[in-house]
Amino acid sequence: MKKQRAVFAAALGMMLLPAMALAAPDFNGSWVRDNAKSEAVPNTMYWMTRGANTMGGGGRGNAQVILNIHQDAKALQVDDAQSAPRNYVLDGKPHSRPTDTGIQKAEVTANLQADALVIETTQPFGGMPGNATLTIKEIWSLSPDGKTLTVTTTRDVPARQQIYKQVYNRTQSTGAVLCSAGCVPAPK
Amino acid sequence: MAKNISRRKFFGGAVAGGLAAASPASVIAQPSAAPRRVGLPDVWGQDFLYQWSPPENVKRDLTPGPGVIRLSNSQDITNKEGTDYDAMFKGMRAAGWTACEAASAAWLGRKLPDSEVREIKAQLKAHDVVFYNIHCAGNIIAPDPQGEQWQRHIIDAVHAAEQMDLRMILTHTGSMYPNRNTAHPLNWSRQAWERSVNALKNICKSTAGSKIKVAIEPVNTEAINNPWAMKRLREDVGDERIQCGLDITNMVYAGTAFRMSELLNTTFELLEGMIAYIHAKDYVWDGMLPGIDWAMNGTGNMDYELFLAHISRIPDPIMYVEFLSTPEEYQQAQRNIRAIASKIGVKIYGTQA
Repeated sequence: MKKQRAVFAAALGMMLLPAMALAAPDFNGSWVRDNAKSEAVPNTMYWMTRGANTMGGGGRGNAQVILNIHQDAKALQVDDAQSAPRNYVLDGKPHSRPTDTGIQKAEVTANLQADALVIETTQPFGGMPGNATLTIKEIWSLSPDGKTLTVTTTRDVPARQQIYKQVYNRTQSTGAVLCSAGCVPAPK
Repeated sequence: MAKNISRRKFFGGAVAGGLAAASPASVIAQPSAAPRRVGLPDVWGQDFLYQWSPPENVKRDLTPGPGVIRLSNSQDITNKEGTDYDAMFKGMRAAGWTACEAASAAWLGRKLPDSEVREIKAQLKAHDVVFYNIHCAGNIIAPDPQGEQWQRHIIDAVHAAEQMDLRMILTHTGSMYPNRNTAHPLNWSRQAWERSVNALKNICKSTAGSKIKVAIEPVNTEAINNPWAMKRLREDVGDERIQCGLDITNMVYAGTAFRMSELLNTTFELLEGMIAYIHAKDYVWDGMLPGIDWAMNGTGNMDYELFLAHISRIPDPIMYVEFLSTPEEYQQAQRNIRAIASKIGVKIYGTQA
């Protein structure tokens, strides 16, 4: 009897595995930032001193921010009008890519978990030789109904840590539809 | 005790220095090995583009030297009456700063009794803090009488530095305008150069016999705004006490803004043996014009790894963190500097809480 139960449990487990795998969050679609619920994005490019505004803005302010996300089992691509397309391999392994300056390297690890996508990046702060090391950890999670995306970002340099949250509302179930802000169509 | 220079001696020195330097032969008496054209070499050949992007594979020797770097910051030592020197140096040390300097106007503004001088020295020793410099930020080539007044101020600072057993004083050569921070169109003329050389000859002559280094801080707005000019200045003045108070970010312009690794290598090579101490700043180019603005140390275009490696190879290195706004920023800067130093094996004196 016990053996039969164990076999049944194992079989049930085998049946549920694909379903569990499918339960990983699906970020496909177009997302508009909810400025009211989002925190100010710091200037991620420069850390100015001498009384300059170093904490807020980042050039986005209340501007409309739209993310177009295309995701499959192995990769995720994010397009928005503010930055170059970002491509992530969802294998939980570090991948090297050039920093925005093109002259230094960043190590990026994207790990799709059951309830979130965790993206960790390690790079020289400004992408220049000799910079302090910056680590960025982004946690992407969906609301239970799948309509709200929350991205919590933690930026660490030896000097300080910054944490900020961005909230996006789903506008389309597939990417590359809403391009009013000049967004780049997601790949087919 | 500060020595007083008689007016006759002061201006006698000025005349002698001026006459000597007015002779073209004296200006070129010791020709420099400087290249025909100052500046970094071309990156990819001469054509229609400025050579503003860095070449690939710049040599970055990050081998640490034997020097242990002491950090100081612009929360200067003060000699205000009633200062608790024990508490002041204890506070510096607790915050990770193991060296300090004084702003000249305030420091020279009060004559210290010998007992207080002894107390300061005793407390410096007790807390293992090095007082090394009087920071003058002068304008010794300003139109007279300001230029002459500044030269006298520098001479007074040298004597005050002797009193406190410091290693140096620091000044700029300055601008042809009374305000040294305002770039005069003739700041890079033969006239400005000769005024700079003559002023320094006068200062050296008036303080002859002193071991206090007279460090010059090259800066963009002035005639001495690159390592080649700094080296040539020392040769033309002809006094080994002329040293460089190196603030390499002050020499950055559009052509070098993204070529800092090369500028570091070139500067430390050219100025070997004549760097009195170093300023620690960082910058980014964040505007349409060549708007080069200050940034948090270790986050901008300054190659801090290479910078720290070079600094660790000079004797008794002191690094002065400045141009930040708040005590918190100074602590943040120090954390970045210590972390980068640790990454490449360069030693920073003391610890940060």
